[in-house]
Amino acid sequence: MAQPSEQLIVANESVTFAVKVAGQGKPVVYLHGAGGLTWDPFLDELSNHYQVIAPQIPGTGNSSGLENIRDLWDLVLCYYDLFDGLGLDSATVIGHSLGGMIALELAASDQSRVKQIVAIAPTGLFKDEEPVPDLFAMLPDEVANIMVADTASPVAEMLRYMPRETEKRIEATIQRMQNMQAAAKFLWPIPDKGLGRRMHRIKAPTLLIWGQQDRFIPVSYAEDFCRGIIRSELVVIDQAAHLVTLEQTEQVLEAVKGFVGAYQDDAYGRVNG
Amino acid sequence: MKFVAFHLMPFRELPADFEETYPSVWVTPPKKLYDPKKGHRMYHDYLDELEFEVDLGFDAVGVNEHHSNAYGLMPSPNLMGAILSRKVRHSDQTSLIVLGNSLASYNPPIRVAEEMAMLDVLSGGKFIAGFPVGTSMDQNYAYGINPAELRERYYEAHDLIMKTWKTDEILTYNGKYNQFRYINPWPRPAQRPHPPVWIPGGGSVETYDFSITHNYSFSYLSYFGHKYAKKVMDPFWERNDELGADRNPYKAGYCQMICLSETDERAQIDYEGHVRYFFNKCLHVDRRVAEAPGYRTVKSLRAGLTSQFDGTQKSASRMLKDGMGWQDLIDHGFIVAGSPATVRDIMRESLQDMRVGNVVCLFHIGSMPHWLVQKNMQLFAEEVKPYLSDIYSEWDHSAYWPKGYAQEQEVEMTE
Repeated sequence: MAQPSEQLIVANESVTFAVKVAGQGKPVVYLHGAGGLTWDPFLDELSNHYQVIAPQIPGTGNSSGLENIRDLWDLVLCYYDLFDGLGLDSATVIGHSLGGMIALELAASDQSRVKQIVAIAPTGLFKDEEPVPDLFAMLPDEVANIMVADTASPVAEMLRYMPRETEKRIEATIQRMQNMQAAAKFLWPIPDKGLGRRMHRIKAPTLLIWGQQDRFIPVSYAEDFCRGIIRSELVVIDQAAHLVTLEQTEQVLEAVKGFVGAYQDDAYGRVNG
Repeated sequence: MKFVAFHLMPFRELPADFEETYPSVWVTPPKKLYDPKKGHRMYHDYLDELEFEVDLGFDAVGVNEHHSNAYGLMPSPNLMGAILSRKVRHSDQTSLIVLGNSLASYNPPIRVAEEMAMLDVLSGGKFIAGFPVGTSMDQNYAYGINPAELRERYYEAHDLIMKTWKTDEILTYNGKYNQFRYINPWPRPAQRPHPPVWIPGGGSVETYDFSITHNYSFSYLSYFGHKYAKKVMDPFWERNDELGADRNPYKAGYCQMICLSETDERAQIDYEGHVRYFFNKCLHVDRRVAEAPGYRTVKSLRAGLTSQFDGTQKSASRMLKDGMGWQDLIDHGFIVAGSPATVRDIMRESLQDMRVGNVVCLFHIGSMPHWLVQKNMQLFAEEVKPYLSDIYSEWDHSAYWPKGYAQEQEVEMTE
């Protein structure tokens, strides 16, 4: 597994991002989900094809300044500042879960900053008749079990893993709490912060990827996103749930490569020009 | 020494299988278990108990705030405070304390400045204002407040309330969560510049500092009694000394369940079932909704996890789960129970050991019937309290206890 390098990018006077970077080729920004950033086999594979740029949401890892961010609007602006710091005028953004929501918000707020979006089971919508379960009222094992299609799989086991040694266990628990704290700041108590009212503004080509067995954000949400986003397409992958990138890494990778490669860098300008 | 007669107003008749059948007493207890006819009786029994405590000459009667909670049926403690103020106003011994209003959930927060000023005026300047952050169950889960914002909202609300209480000017406020052009609440409090402030809380350094630097009275409100409280009060006083503050015992208080009977044996017969009801049912809180991510600071979290994981400190809830006999509950200080002589001895020692000037006494516990609460309170008022009142009597409590109408108002009234 290629070890990514870590850079600290000062986005603005109150927020600094730790960004993991690995691979060569076309740059893609990867925004992680509520569980925090782990350099996992999916990112490793992805970095064999692209330069993967993976910032950690403020308040997690070595990213700081969560307490200075007031709301989702502030957060979106911080990501634009981060893009400036990275020298990205317009980026291809892949986002998973919470990261998917942030990617879509970035594309809806400023149409010039996001070239293409891969949104993997994004949060951001909420349906009373099929509510997203309360991630913040689950025991750790319950979180692990709801996120995967097969609770006996190695992925599930990895999620349930907790070190035995006291010191490591304390640090792992604190890290998990910090990841959840950052996520809760933008998802509490209901993961609907108005994206539904804004998503018609998303003009960038958007690929939605969903695990057929997703019990956290059911696949019916994918259809709502598809209806709301003008240039969207949907790939539903079987034998996978919310952690589809880890459960069916190859299939997700193929879908991403097909989509990202299909649009050349000038495609966005041409379509809208 | 000051004694507050405090009430949680629990639902007394949860089903026998409550803790096996239902996930939680808090946030998710099924509403169908609440019978308003029984609730009517309970509210009035409890108010009678609090009014009787005024007759018995307690230093204060107190109520507090909880939400979606089957053992704390006061989503609005100020309503209960308003009822009690009618009796407190005639007393020359008893103050009224609301311990308190969870500031972050009042919108706008000057609502607290208004309602507490009403209570201060209604009681005749005998009101104590309690400002808790509130539990995660109440504030984050039941009231939906973002845990990332809870403490900031709390501090901002506190700032706003104290600013307006300390001045007669019309204020403008441009805060992070609150913006006002005209802050000018009527009525203003009877006490000047404001009622004494108490901070109920757990044992975090942030809370100690907040309380000590503002010269408020800190109350450790746990249900695990004097031996647990000692573990919090020791670092509180250490911090107090580090900050160079005086050692006035009235700036500290703690909560204690008290069970009094004629004899030690009789106390067990009278109270054990009700105490078990409390520990088994009223503390049956679903871990899922016990602490939102971000409710505690990382510093507090790390301290808590260290004692939890390294096994050095067995948590009170763990001890209860492992089973505690009546004598264990007494030995570990969860309850102070027995004859008046027994209770006097235990309390005299622990109050001096902890250096607390205020005790928040729980005389109603769990499923206790009205008659037993009356017996408990009366025995305490007549057989215990007079023997402990001398403790810390050399200290001036006036910064932490009500002073009645402000001087300027008395002058106006006599003119």
